[in-house]
This record gives sequence, structure tokens and C-alpha cells, in this order.
Amino acid sequence: MPSSQAKPLVSVIVIVYNDADRLPRAVASVLRQSLRGVEALIVDDCSTDDSFSVAQRLAAEYPGQVRALRLPENSGGCGGPRNLGMTEVRGEYVMFLDSDDELDDHACRNLYEAGERTGAELVSGLSVRRFVGNRNGKTDRWYPWIYSRTRTLDSVSELPDLLVWDTLSTNKAYRRSFLTRTGLQFPLGILYEDLLFSAQAYLAAERITLIPNRVYYWDQWPQAKDKGGASLSNRRHEIRNFTDRLEIHRRIDAMLADRDMAELKYRKDLKFLKHDLVLHLRDLPFLPEDFRQEFAGHARGYLAGLDPEAVAESPFIQRICAYLLTRDDWENLLPAIDTLLNRDKLSSPLVERDGRIFWCGEHLDDPEGRRVLEVTAHGYHSKALGQLFLRNQLTRYAVGPGGVELAGRVVNPLGRIAADAKISAKLEFTARRKTIKSKFAFPVREVRHDADGIVWSATADLTKALRPLGVLDDVWDVRCVFTVNGERTTTRLTVGDLDLAAPPTPAVRPRLTRLTGDRMEPHRSVRGHLAFELAAEGGLARRGTDLIERAVRGEAGPVANTAMDRARRTLRGALRLKRQLNNGDTKLKVYHQLLHRLPVVKGQVVFESHQGKQYSDNPRAIYEELLRRGAPMKAVWSYAGSAAGFPSGATLVKRWSWQYLRALAQAEFWVDNQGFPYRLRKRPETTYIQTWHGSALKKMGFDLASLKRQTPEQQALYLAGLNRFDHFVVRSEHDVRTLAPAYRIGEDRLLRAGYPRNDVLRDEGAAKDRQLAGELGIDLTKPVVLYAPTFRADASGRVRTFELPFDVEEFVERFGDRMTLLVRCHYLNRVVLPPSVAGKVIDVSDIQEVTPLYLMADALITDYSSLMFDYALLDRPMLFFAYDWEEYADDLRGTYFDLLGEAPGPVLRDAGELYEALGDLDLVGKEYTEARQRFVAEYGEYDRGDAAARIADLMFGAADGTEQEAGR
Amino acid sequence: MSRDIFIVSNSVDELGGVSSWSHRMAELLSARGHRVQLVGIAPAVLHKDFGDDLSYGMTTLYQERPASAWTPRYPWQQLDVGARRREAKRVAGVREAAARMSRMFQDAGPGAVVIVTQVWAMEWVAQADLKGLLVIGMTHESYETCRATSRYGRVKRYYADVDRLVALTEEDADAWIRDGMNSTCGIPNPLPFPLPETVQPATKTVVSIGRLAQEKGYDLLLEAWALAVERRPGWQLKIYGLGEEEEALRARCTELGLDGSVELPGRTDDVPGALAGAAVFAMSSRGEGFPISLMEAMACGVPCVSFDCAPGVREIIRDGEDGLLAPTGNTTALARQLGRLMDDRELRDTMAKKAREAIVRYSPEQVTARWEQLFDLLDA
Repeated sequence: MPSSQAKPLVSVIVIVYNDADRLPRAVASVLRQSLRGVEALIVDDCSTDDSFSVAQRLAAEYPGQVRALRLPENSGGCGGPRNLGMTEVRGEYVMFLDSDDELDDHACRNLYEAGERTGAELVSGLSVRRFVGNRNGKTDRWYPWIYSRTRTLDSVSELPDLLVWDTLSTNKAYRRSFLTRTGLQFPLGILYEDLLFSAQAYLAAERITLIPNRVYYWDQWPQAKDKGGASLSNRRHEIRNFTDRLEIHRRIDAMLADRDMAELKYRKDLKFLKHDLVLHLRDLPFLPEDFRQEFAGHARGYLAGLDPEAVAESPFIQRICAYLLTRDDWENLLPAIDTLLNRDKLSSPLVERDGRIFWCGEHLDDPEGRRVLEVTAHGYHSKALGQLFLRNQLTRYAVGPGGVELAGRVVNPLGRIAADAKISAKLEFTARRKTIKSKFAFPVREVRHDADGIVWSATADLTKALRPLGVLDDVWDVRCVFTVNGERTTTRLTVGDLDLAAPPTPAVRPRLTRLTGDRMEPHRSVRGHLAFELAAEGGLARRGTDLIERAVRGEAGPVANTAMDRARRTLRGALRLKRQLNNGDTKLKVYHQLLHRLPVVKGQVVFESHQGKQYSDNPRAIYEELLRRGAPMKAVWSYAGSAAGFPSGATLVKRWSWQYLRALAQAEFWVDNQGFPYRLRKRPETTYIQTWHGSALKKMGFDLASLKRQTPEQQALYLAGLNRFDHFVVRSEHDVRTLAPAYRIGEDRLLRAGYPRNDVLRDEGAAKDRQLAGELGIDLTKPVVLYAPTFRADASGRVRTFELPFDVEEFVERFGDRMTLLVRCHYLNRVVLPPSVAGKVIDVSDIQEVTPLYLMADALITDYSSLMFDYALLDRPMLFFAYDWEEYADDLRGTYFDLLGEAPGPVLRDAGELYEALGDLDLVGKEYTEARQRFVAEYGEYDRGDAAARIADLMFGAADGTEQEAGR
Repeated sequence: MSRDIFIVSNSVDELGGVSSWSHRMAELLSARGHRVQLVGIAPAVLHKDFGDDLSYGMTTLYQERPASAWTPRYPWQQLDVGARRREAKRVAGVREAAARMSRMFQDAGPGAVVIVTQVWAMEWVAQADLKGLLVIGMTHESYETCRATSRYGRVKRYYADVDRLVALTEEDADAWIRDGMNSTCGIPNPLPFPLPETVQPATKTVVSIGRLAQEKGYDLLLEAWALAVERRPGWQLKIYGLGEEEEALRARCTELGLDGSVELPGRTDDVPGALAGAAVFAMSSRGEGFPISLMEAMACGVPCVSFDCAPGVREIIRDGEDGLLAPTGNTTALARQLGRLMDDRELRDTMAKKAREAIVRYSPEQVTARWEQLFDLLDA
């Protein structure tokens, strides 16, 4: 079908303004379409370059496929030319294309097909942002979650995200009859015309179809630095930018109000807070005072009209910024914007009032301010200093004879860095891309308290001490690391409105050659932090870097290209080799082919608990027993993150390190409670004692659907991991009936020894750990109750965030004088307690070993955690706070038995019932004595207090010295 | 318009889904006036006789199955003269076979279409002269299933430039599109036989039909059956089919105490006959494409319970409407769904009725029309 004669199926309106160079490229992407019946209609917005003559040339070259139009005078936006185009098109569908972008080759076919199939008036597909000239070919899919699948909407209210987020007009095909029917037009004389046009189109369309296909390439071109040619969306400092945005939003709000679309308005407001406001606020700290005032005036007016629910729903820092903005509190707002850009950062010193934590001390007499500014739940007060990311504001930047002179001020949250604390600090320069040496440190000369902050100053002689490699490591970040009483906390330097341009720029000497750059040019990163970029100032260096840049882009001469390519390849190759040597597959190969040939070291035992996360549980109890009896062992403990808390008497190896692999390869025994890495085979000379970590309520192993559905190969792989166990420790016949078949453990491998960690629970004389109680601030004269819930996962298996199912402040009010509550959440969860309950409710989640807590607790509250099986041995009151049992048990995973029927204590379904039971713990204790004994007999019959001894006997022979053959 | 249509597969006479599909589509498309030619690269390993009296042509390019390509793993293997000679011969063979195909294609009229049903065959098609032809590639399995095999890489490489990639469902097509195959659509398989006029009255029987192989998950069906039949005496499960798991399954039946309630009657060629009297059809596969057996059961008015193991399954069964689904591998849930239908005659009847009505969307007319629309689109 020669499309020059027939009516086109799709017309693409290509708008151009002073872009003669790129116009043919855009038009070519239309002519390349796999759908043949496509025409391009070029509309020139009265360019001053030769865009229009290029357009006319294209029209002459492709008659019937390309037409060219021109506005009589420049319209100053995208709306004018597009409106003109819409009056002239002939196709059944209409699309828009900008002269610096491209359509995907199949864009028209896919959009047209979807429209014809569903009868939609508007069909929309995925936009992809391409960073032209980027070394790694970086691309960015635009709102992929909206375009994850083909779907048809009868109204945009079925998918508010579409209207709220995808405000582009270009990734869409509009049925021409739809444009005629509705008379849709782009607004003129205002920025953000796309926002309004797409909102109008979404609301007017009878049916909308979305397709996951890439249709539009939105190209980001490298900007020429000296031309000041920042694109529209980057020129946020123009106030009109903001007022126009607000005006467009107001018009859309009016349309939504007309249609009674409250849900859409709510979503749009939420997005305004999360996105639009952030875009404008982020530059506020660098702008002049009068602009700030004007900005605040406009913002106040618009913020007042937002849906209060959307405000309440938005992230806390957005809420705080919006509030401070309406209150004109610039003092507090400017640091808060730092947190807006760096979500994890704590940029305010905070205050504590009435047992709660607030962002700042102002506005707390205003009830709304109090509500908005409260940040107790974020747990800043209970997090370790090392886990906080504190704002460090640069107060001085200069280049002197000794190097770069820096000074700054760090937030001291709630005064947690005490006046007498030992503080030291250093500056670290780190290359963003790792090469041979990517980190250089400089001492910080002075650190001291100053009012509610810490001030510091330093001089870094970059010329002398910092040696970049060149080419690869061109960007360097700066961090300031503080050590407070031995605890490290890392900060970034926030530049603020400090002037970095002051010459001279510090000189450096790259290791490769100074051809790759000779200066370190400071700049402010996207998130507002100080960074340096290797730059060229001297003539030689400039020519050198130019050559490199061109080589990277493939433009330089052939000689330079080959030489540069070879240099880059060699460097990259060396770095890749280093990475490969340390990657998992190499390690596995070396482990199986080399390390397995080393001799087994007699008596070497590798211990691991919860994959190295802890020094705890059964492996620890066995280790301590062996230590106590002086067994001839060479103990090795594996740790995952930090070695802190692990025993100094053992060799400590980091999980997956070379030392770890070697220790495992040469071990006589492996002892763990969860599983050494599945891909590591065990040699036959090694005995693997799998102690496991708890009896099961929920289905496990091969009883899980996720394993049942696997292919035989996948199942065989899993089974091979399980077959490494030589002994599998069980504590009852319940384990034998559930865990053993679930993990395919045959009778010959079962070790009916009971759990070593529980030996102490069977010891009548075991006492409460007074030292631990002291450290935690627990008053042992009052009863102690341990609350230990398990975690919950959603349908896809993701761990849900934990929230206390009762109000701890109410608990303190009712029981605070009579008992202490210890809260221990599952290691996958975290809990934050308000300061108001300090000393009465205590978070003990960080205590690795749980047994001392059992001993300390006079009663236990749990839900479905397997620690119920252990605590029952103590024969103390147990309360089952099963507020969500149906949801928990009835989900897809399933349980081995009915907890409600078997629980050795009252099953409580809400906070009221819980409080009632807590009121008389003695009664609970008495009433359920028999039930507890039954429960222990059923689920813990082999926990007799000698488990560690029995396993130690098995490993190294009986304690009395008679040698026994180690169990195989 | 009537077109020349070439359907190219690994073999034209293989026992299996793709050959059945090719013959069925060839029959339907030639009935619509198109000139259809089935092209097989090599003779089948497991042969099936599709008869002689065909309304379409059939060609096989090789007399015997060609050797696979030579890919030396180490540099020194490049020196192996014998292997090099064999490889040169193989390459010449591919070229010659492609040339034969080119001659067939050259005689075709305007608007001719080549449908490549399997990616292996694409290696030959790609070397043929495709000028003026529309080329359509197909993947006859779910995206996830393909992803787990070596075919995945070949689909992405060999089908990169076809005019359209056709998957079995829209959901699979979307997955391929997200993966970068930007010209992809989904077209379902057609019903293999006309809708039976009447529905046989049901007895207390659950039926399943399929190969007795691990991926069909009959071990899991037995586990679920043990739970379901425990409180529902008198019910029977019949699993039709043959396969390497038969012995293991019989042993499992005995172990679970199901000898009295489970039958394994072997293979059947009479699907409607096997479904006659069934109250429920069960499918317990670990993976599927667009399972014909579910369509057959629904056409015969038997409501289905199945693991939700592929987009094709959840497209055929609309969960809770005309059948019931359970998460793949969850035998408790499968037992629960079986039980729901076993206990509730009214629910069975409603779902059976809806299933028979709904399955018409895969009627030969509907599916053939989809293909013809696709041909027209690629020409537009």
C-alpha cells in the first residue's frame, strides 16, 4: 500500500525551533516506522536558523510522507506549533514528536494496533530517557510501573497514577476524531503546557489503552557548559517557572473538582508534595532572599488548598518542609531541605519534650505544629550514633598555601555527643570509581563543641597527598569521619550557598600523566555535597583530556584512538581481573579444586550461628562446653558483618572470605544452626553437625510450595545442601515428625540430644544475669515480662514493617509501676520506643543471646515465635497474644499444628485481653501448669540439660578422657 | 486477501504440541482460502502420522537430522582439521537447505507470510532470501518457562528482527516486550475439536490427562488428593497418560493409602471419552504454556482446578468464575479447591456452564481471525 496516496494511519507532528541539525534525525525516525501508513508533519515555530529550509527539503525529498508548515511568528513554547499541526493532520491517529527526540521503530504499529483492537481514543506507551553521549549508554525508563502491562481503562480514575505522574503528551497516539470531538488544545503563553494538555486528554478520553512497549525516546543532550543553555526544566530559579506550575495545577484541580474526582485530587496533591515541591525547594538554599520571600508567598497560597489527607500521608520531611514554609521559618526550613534531598540524613539537632522527640523546639504550642514536627517514630534517639547520617554544613572553603582549607559544623542530635566525649575526625577523599588507590585521608586539625553543634576545621594538601590515577577516577567525594568515644560516624559536607568558584583550583598530579588532568575542580553534587572533579587547566592537559574525551566518543584520530583504547583496555582489564579473583565463582572453584586438597586439621571446628550474624544459640553453647572441658579443639567462628562480640579465644573469619573457605575446607567439624553456604560441598572427612535453631510451627523445607514447585534439578541442588548434614539435632518427636521429613533427614542422621542452648533452662540453679540487667537498666525487684513476637510477611514473602500491636504508653500507665516490659522483636524487624517509656519498656532486640533474657523474664508474651518451645522449659507463665492468628495461620504457608488448641497459656485476641491477663500473672501461672507440662513433653522431651555434653562427647570423646570414635 | 503462508517448524510430523498446532492452523488457514505449506527442517524423532489427504503442502528439508554447530571450547581445538571439515560441510548444508527454502519463497505472491514456530528452525529461515515476506516468530511456551532454558537467549538473538513475535498470551507478550522484544503480541491456541453438543452426567470422578512426568506434578496431585479424599469417601481420581514417573506414582499411591481411590488407566486418544462422567478436571503442572487439556475439559463441560503455573492457565481459567486456581506447589490449597468443587454440585454446574460459554473465545474462527488481522497489520 503506497502510503503517499492513501490517507495515513498515523500523523506525527514534529515541532522544531532553531534545531536544524537534529530535525532530520527526528524525521528519519518517523520515516523508519514499521507501520507504513505514517506521515510526518513538521511545524517550525518561526526559527531564526535554517530549520524551515531543512524541513522544506525533507518535504521535497519525501512527497506524501513529509509536509512542512511554519508559524508566522515565534510562539515561545511547544503549544503553538502543536495546535497548528492538529488542524492540518490527516491520519486516523495523531502523535507529537520534538525535534531532538526519536520514535521507536515500532511505535506507530504498536499504538495503532492497540487503538484498533480496543477502540481506545487515547493509547499511551513507555517513554525512555536516553542520555546521549553517555559513556555507559545510560537510559531511564519513565514510570515503568504504569506501563508494566497492557491494560485498557474506561476512565483515568481507574489508574490515578497515570494522570498524576505521566504528564507527557508525546508518548501517546490520539485518535483524530477524539481531538475533533473534544477540541483539545495546548494552552499558550504558559510553561508546562504538557501537564495541562495530558490531564485534559486523560479526563476527556472515553477509553484509554496503555501498552508496555517503548514508543518514545526522550533524549537528554549534553549541555554546552558556557552557553547558559540550561533546558527549561533546569531553570527553576525563574519565579515564573513556579507560578506557571502552580497555575497549571490550579486549572487541573478545577477540572477534577468539576468532576468530583476527590481520589485523583488526593493522589495529585500527594505527588505535588513528594515531587513538584521538592523540585522547587531543593534550590531554595542557594537563592537570594527576595526570591525566597516571593516563592513562599505563592507556595503558601497553594499549599493551603491541598487535601489535608494528602498532607498527612506524605513523607514526614515533606510535611515538615511544607509546614515550616507556611510558617515562614527559614531558620529551620533550610536545614530540613537537606533531609528532603538526603532522606537518611538528620539535619536538625532535635528536641525532647514530654518524652517525645520533635524536629525543632519552635511551633510546639501550635497543635498542628506539634503533630507535624514529632519524629519519635523515626528512632533518631535510639539509633547508635554510627548509624546516624548527620548534617555537616561547610562554613569555609578556601585555597591557601597549605592546600584546601575547610571548616564546618555538625549537628549534635539531642546533645548525644556529650561535652566531655573524646572526639577526633579525619577527611576522606574517595574516588567514585575504584581504581588502584581510591581513598586518601587528611587529619582534621580542630574539633570542638560550639553551642548545639560540633565545629571543625582542616587543611588538605591535595597537590602533595592526593594522587588520582587519571581518566577512570575523575570524580572524588569528600567525607568527614568522626570518632566519638570510639564510635565512628560518617558525614558528607553540605556546600549550601558557599562560593566554590574562588580561585585558584588546587593542582594535582595524576599517576598516569598530567595529560589526563591537572586540577581538582570543586563542585556541589546533585545532593548538595562537596565533590571534586579532575579537570584540565594547563594547555597540555587540556589537549590531552580533549583527546581522551574524543576517543571515548570515538571521534579522535585513528592513532589516538588505538593508543587510548589500549590504555583504557589495559586498565579496565587489570581492574576486572582483580574483581574476578574475588568473585563468588572463582572462590567456589578454588575451594573445590584447591582448598579441598589441603589436609584436614585435626580438631578444627568451624562454628556459625544464623549465617554469621550472631555469636549465639546452639553453636555457642557447644563451643562453650568444649572450651569448659578443655577439648583439643581449634575453634573458628564465622561472622557476617563485624567481629564485635565474637569470642577472642577463637580464630575469627569473615563469611565468604578466603580464610573462611580455607577453614571450612580443612575442618574436622562444621557446627551451625541454619546452613553453611549451599554451594560449598563438604568433604567426606568432615563431620557436619546441624543443630538447627528451633522447632517448627510453620511449614518448612520441602513442605513449602516454593520448593515443591521446583524442577528436579533445582530440588536436587537443594537436597545436596541438606545431604551434607551428618547429624541433625532434634528436641522432640514433634521435630522428628515435621522437620526431619521436611528436610529429608533419615532416621540414621537424627541426633535426639535436645538443644544445647536450652541446657541452662533445665538448670534449677540458673540465676538472673545481674550484670546484663544493670547494663539494660532493668529493675530486678519488679517482675519482668518479655514480649517477643515473630515477624510477618506479605503474600509475596516480603517482611512487613513491625508495629507494636498495643500502645506502650498505655501499658506504662497501667503497669509501669508494677512490672518491666522487655521488647524483643524478630531480627528481621526493628522497634522504636518513645523516650516517655524509658526504664519501663526496654528494647532488647540487639541482645544476640536470648537465653539470659528468658532467665530474667518472669513471664513471656509471644505470638507464634518458636521461642515458645524453649521458654516453656522454665515452667513460667506464658501469654499468647495472637491478635492476627487467622491471618497468620490461614495464609498460604500453613502450620503443622493448631496453636490455639495447644497453647500452654491464655490466647489473647486484643490489647484489652492482654492487659487483663497481665493483671494477674500468678493466676495464669497456676491455671496452665498442666498444659505447660504437656506442652514440654510434646515439644521438648529431649531437652534434659545435657545436650551440649552429649554433642561434645560425640565430637571429642567422653569428658572423662576415654577416646571415642567421632560420630560419622 | 488470500496469501501464501509457510509454517516452518523443526519437524512437520513430530508427536507433540507444536506439530499438532501447525497442522491444525494449516487446516484452518487453507479452509479460509490461503495457500499453506508446512516446512520441516528435519524428520521427527518421535513420529506421528497426520494422514495423507491434506489440504496443504508438506516438505522436509533434510533426509536426516543435521549435526549441531561446532563450538570449540579451547583455542587449540581450532586446529582440529576433521572437525573443521565437518563444520564446513554442515554450514554448506544449512546454506543449501536455506536456498531450497528461498526457491519456495520466491514463487510466493505478494503479502506472503513465513511463520516460524520454533526458534531452532529460525537459523535456516534467517539464511533464506526473505525479500518481500512477512516473518513471524513464535514461542510456544510461557515466558518464565522459556527464561529457564537455553532457548531464551536464542529467542532474543534469532527473533530480534522478525516483523512480529507471537507468544501464547498477552501476559507473556507483555513480559517479552518488557524484556526488549518490542514487536510482540499474544495469540492463543485454537480449540482442538468442535464444542460437543451435550454434556455427560457427572459421577464422583476427578480426571486428569497428561504425561506422567515430573513437570506435570502428579506427585503433588496425589498429595492434594490424599487430603481431599480423606473426608470424601466414594470419590475416584483417574490420571490418563504414560511416562517415566508411572512406577514412582504407583508407589506413592500405596504409601499415601490411595490405591482404592486412584486409577492410572494409561494413555487415551479419546479425550472426550475420558472426560465423560468427570465431575472435576485437575491439573497440577509445575509449568505450562497454553494447556490444551484445560480447553478440552472446559469444552466438554468439566470445571477445572489447576495450579496457577503460567499466564496461559490463568487466561483460560478465570479463577472463581469458570474454574479454580491454587498457587503452584501449594498442595493444601489445591486440595481445598478440589474439595470446594467436589462438595458443591451447584458450583460445579455453574462453573461448567460458564466454562463452556467462555471457551468459545478460542474457537477456530476467533483464532484464525486474530491471525488474519495480524497479517493485515504487518502489511499496513
